Amino acid sequence: MSQTPPSRRGARSHKTRLSSRLRAWARHHRAMLVDSAWRLVRHPLGNLLTMLAIAIALVLPAALWLTLDSARLLDAELEESATLTVYLAQEVDDVQAGRIEQAVQAQPEVAATRLISAAEGMAEFQQALGLDDALVGLADNPLPASIVVHPTSPEPAAMQQLSQVLGEMSGVDDVRLDLAWIERLRHLAELGRRLALALAVLFGLGVLLVVGNTIRLAVESRRREIEVVMLIGATHAFVRRPFLYSGAWYGVGGGLLALGLLTLGNHWLSLPVSALAASYGASFSLPQLDLAGSTILLSCSTLLGWLGAWLAVGRHLSSIRPR
Amino acid sequence: MIAFEHVGKRYGGRFEALANIDFGVARGEMVFLTGHSGAGKSSLLRLIMRLERPSRGRVVVAGHDIARLHASQVPFYRRQIGVVFQDHQLLFDRSVFHNVALPLVIQGVEPRESARRVRAALDKVGLLHREKALPIELSGGEQQRIGIARAVVNKPALLLADEPTGNLDPQLSADIMALFEDFNRIGTTVMIASHDLALIARLHHRTLRLRDGRLVADERAP
Repeated sequence: MSQTPPSRRGARSHKTRLSSRLRAWARHHRAMLVDSAWRLVRHPLGNLLTMLAIAIALVLPAALWLTLDSARLLDAELEESATLTVYLAQEVDDVQAGRIEQAVQAQPEVAATRLISAAEGMAEFQQALGLDDALVGLADNPLPASIVVHPTSPEPAAMQQLSQVLGEMSGVDDVRLDLAWIERLRHLAELGRRLALALAVLFGLGVLLVVGNTIRLAVESRRREIEVVMLIGATHAFVRRPFLYSGAWYGVGGGLLALGLLTLGNHWLSLPVSALAASYGASFSLPQLDLAGSTILLSCSTLLGWLGAWLAVGRHLSSIRPR
Repeated sequence: MIAFEHVGKRYGGRFEALANIDFGVARGEMVFLTGHSGAGKSSLLRLIMRLERPSRGRVVVAGHDIARLHASQVPFYRRQIGVVFQDHQLLFDRSVFHNVALPLVIQGVEPRESARRVRAALDKVGLLHREKALPIELSGGEQQRIGIARAVVNKPALLLADEPTGNLDPQLSADIMALFEDFNRIGTTVMIASHDLALIARLHHRTLRLRDGRLVADERAP
């Protein structure tokens, strides 16, 4: 108890004490990192089940997110896809159509235009629907030429106004404003986003509970050890440390399993999805988590595992008092 | 080293475990604490270990008023005290070596230094050859000596023992007491709670006698 160092060496010994304490701290962290991993490996089945429960909880919101992403509902490009379609009168020929396009292009509210001639329109229609045979029988092309107009502003009011201006131009039969489906899509995207978020929060809580319960049992099974080390001067941080690492390991394992499940699901579904897409003459492949996405998923699961352990140990440490 | 000033301890508001305990133990002293079971020996040791706080009065150990220690300071306070328990409190899932090393691991002692000190402590209690054994493979007397090695491995200034010879035969008990005397000889303050009156009488140390939570005698060594 008279462990105060002589004063003339005080500063130096304080410094070495601090650095040696830091080293001791790092050493214990390393030891607990390995020790907690070792404890997981020694009971592989039970721990694998815990990780699987975490993985399943993570896969559901992740899969929904990916689906939304693949449907481009989350894209900022949505705004750009706000277009007007100007249908020209049937009797307008290609030269006239070109002139009309130039006039449309001259409008200040118009950012870009694309002319689709009657023949091109027909080809596109056939390709999109795969209805070659049905249309071959038609003698005349029933489709008019059209101009796709990208406005400078996607605001509904501005587009409404632009559509009126364009509708009054000569040679123009009709202007279609695709506002309704854009709005619908936007609501759908918002719905999906909120659903994914709610699911993520809900299942994140689920992960906390799964890890928390597992750690609670671990604390209970090591109760005697905790009592003994507290009797001989262990701090709460020292006691907590191995359990926090266990929780983080559960998170890492659960995250990796979730990534595996997502890849597996992707393989499982990719064949019928691409076959279906091909039958419509389109090519579509299921989205996969990229490196950034995988990193985010793993970090989230690790953090959740750690947090679950923290909550569980914190709650139980206060109830454990050395006898 | 230890000062009790009019200390009282009540449990649950009614049961009075200790009443008006007043004594001091100087640095380097060796003291026995006796009394029938339930007289308050364990309560008194628990106060020194800061497992309890006094209901009345003041307990000062090594300059710390234990009632004023903040919860975060308690672990560091306990590291200054070596404690030998009647039931050893050894961990059965690890070797003798790792049991004895536990206080050093908690304090973050560098592994090589730690191994050296663990072996020195095991050598002192005569069990260096059993360092790789598990506690379950040892006899009761050997387990108690491991408990002592763990209590002294970080060279505490104060060594407490609660019935350290409780379940041992007279010869083993005498050996254990001789060990405590050795530690006392090199300057460690030692306090041993025991009801083995015959053994205590032979050892000629100061003896505090408790009865029903009161200090009824303080017999100085002759």
